[in-house]
Amino acid sequence: MTAARVAIVTGKYLAFARAAARRALAERTVLIGRSVFLGVILFAFSRIWHVIGASSALPGAGERELVWYLAVSEWSVLSVPPLFLAIEAEVRSGDVACRLVRPVGYVGSQISEAVGEAALRLAVLGPSAALFAWALSGGFPADPRGLWFALPLGLVATLIAILFMAAIGLSAFWIIDTSPFFWIWQKLTFVLGGLLFPLELYPDWLQRIAHATPFPLMCWAPARMALGFAPRQALGSALQGLLWVGILIGLLVVMSRRARARLTVSGG
Amino acid sequence: MSKAIELEQLRKVFRVRERTHGVLGSLRGLVAPRTREVVAVDGVSFAIAAGERVAFVGPNGAGKSTTLKVLAGILRPTSGHVRVAGLEPGRDRGRLGYRIGAVFGQRSQLWMHLPAADTFDLLARIYELAPGEYRARRDELVRAFEIAEICEKPVRQLSLGERMRCELVASLLHRPEILFLDEPTIGLDVVAKATIRDLVRERGRRDGCTVLLTSHDTGDMERVCERVLVIHRGRLLLDRPVDALRKSFIPRKRISVVSEEVELALDLPGVRRLPSAPHRTELEVDLRAVGVDRVVTQIFARARVLDLSVEDPPMEEIVTAIYAGASADAAT
Repeated sequence: MTAARVAIVTGKYLAFARAAARRALAERTVLIGRSVFLGVILFAFSRIWHVIGASSALPGAGERELVWYLAVSEWSVLSVPPLFLAIEAEVRSGDVACRLVRPVGYVGSQISEAVGEAALRLAVLGPSAALFAWALSGGFPADPRGLWFALPLGLVATLIAILFMAAIGLSAFWIIDTSPFFWIWQKLTFVLGGLLFPLELYPDWLQRIAHATPFPLMCWAPARMALGFAPRQALGSALQGLLWVGILIGLLVVMSRRARARLTVSGG
Repeated sequence: MSKAIELEQLRKVFRVRERTHGVLGSLRGLVAPRTREVVAVDGVSFAIAAGERVAFVGPNGAGKSTTLKVLAGILRPTSGHVRVAGLEPGRDRGRLGYRIGAVFGQRSQLWMHLPAADTFDLLARIYELAPGEYRARRDELVRAFEIAEICEKPVRQLSLGERMRCELVASLLHRPEILFLDEPTIGLDVVAKATIRDLVRERGRRDGCTVLLTSHDTGDMERVCERVLVIHRGRLLLDRPVDALRKSFIPRKRISVVSEEVELALDLPGVRRLPSAPHRTELEVDLRAVGVDRVVTQIFARARVLDLSVEDPPMEEIVTAIYAGASADAAT
């Protein structure tokens, strides 16, 4: 493929992302609802941690850092649109067949739309999360420099979550109802990903298991940056994240080929 | 004339899972699912010349949409030979995508929450249209389809007829050589149906694009196309010019009239009065004896008409008539 061709193809997918961002912007109530939900979650957990004294179990970090940790992890999780539902709905209704007429990849265009929507949500929910965290914790973390690393790691986290969601959505070609897969994936992300608590609070054996999976990359990796300045850890997480992006893209390529074969064998 | 579409002995078989009852049956189904084959298209052959407007009609489940999906490259044939715009759809789906357009009446290619104009912009990118070329084409189609006011509204706020006009514009933006229309008038009211039919016919003529239209509404076939292919149970039953089909198999039309007069009497040959209600007259017209235009003219001359509709016999009735004709041919 020539460089000009790459630019044209990239432009197509960027156009999907832009259109999806415009659509997300038109759905203002969803954005406002998510911002309010983020505030409620932060308020509730900051109170719970205060009562149980969770910060005492985490060396080098206090209650304020824990609130910022949760703000970052919720920011990345709440920014991910439910792509699996969109794909499942198109598979169930048969709309997926009509989308295949266009000279553009189906899964690629779906992922681009989700990325566009997520980008807008990240941009809107980011300041909201920061504002809530600042108001509830009474200031910035002791070493706020780490927050700069949270931004790129949050983007990687969102991309990984979107790719997982695309894989869950594509499973509709085999199981029709993807909600059980999503439910299991979501709970693993919450627990092994360290959505509510830093993994450092987990027993050693559970930490080892969690780090062997991609789940911490979707919550803990960006949120950990709120606990302190850790450039080496940030770089390690970013590289690990990109490796998982590659693995998931490979999985999606295989799944889309099999899904296509299934469509042609079992009906459109 | 060059061939836009060529099909030879197309066969498409789907494998569907058989449902089993009870918990034990469901568990067995998980371990060793039982499947059966469903023949959707069974040895269909035809060719369509470039620029032809052809109706592909048949009752529900006849195999129309499956054939269309094979032609569009969405499904691969089980066996047979298929060429569309000189390409093999199953293998060259990517390249074929630039040369065909498609409208699926029961599905939308427009983004529901955005104005249709935004989808047009996106499609211009997908089909790699140069900005100047795209703007000129879009403006031309927006004028022809009279959607200047509606294409700036979110699609979900449009009526079905308005949405369908926007769908057609979206499918024509890249000047497709072949346009596949799958039930484009389904669910539309009489006026919207007439508008869509006129627009498709006119645009097909103007752009010189080949149109393959599937429908189970004989009106679509009569008003848009010059040739008709009738398919039933996956087999091609008939391939004729629309005029010939009309004369042979659509000999009657039904006219419903609502008038200020309690009863309406006509004295024309070939017009039979069906059981009617006060102020509402149902007529069956034998087209071999009299034209619809003559009947309608006399109705307007004799009554103050409040409402009038002309209906074709349902597709199922036409297929039955074709079967009867085919059997009679075989017997002689």
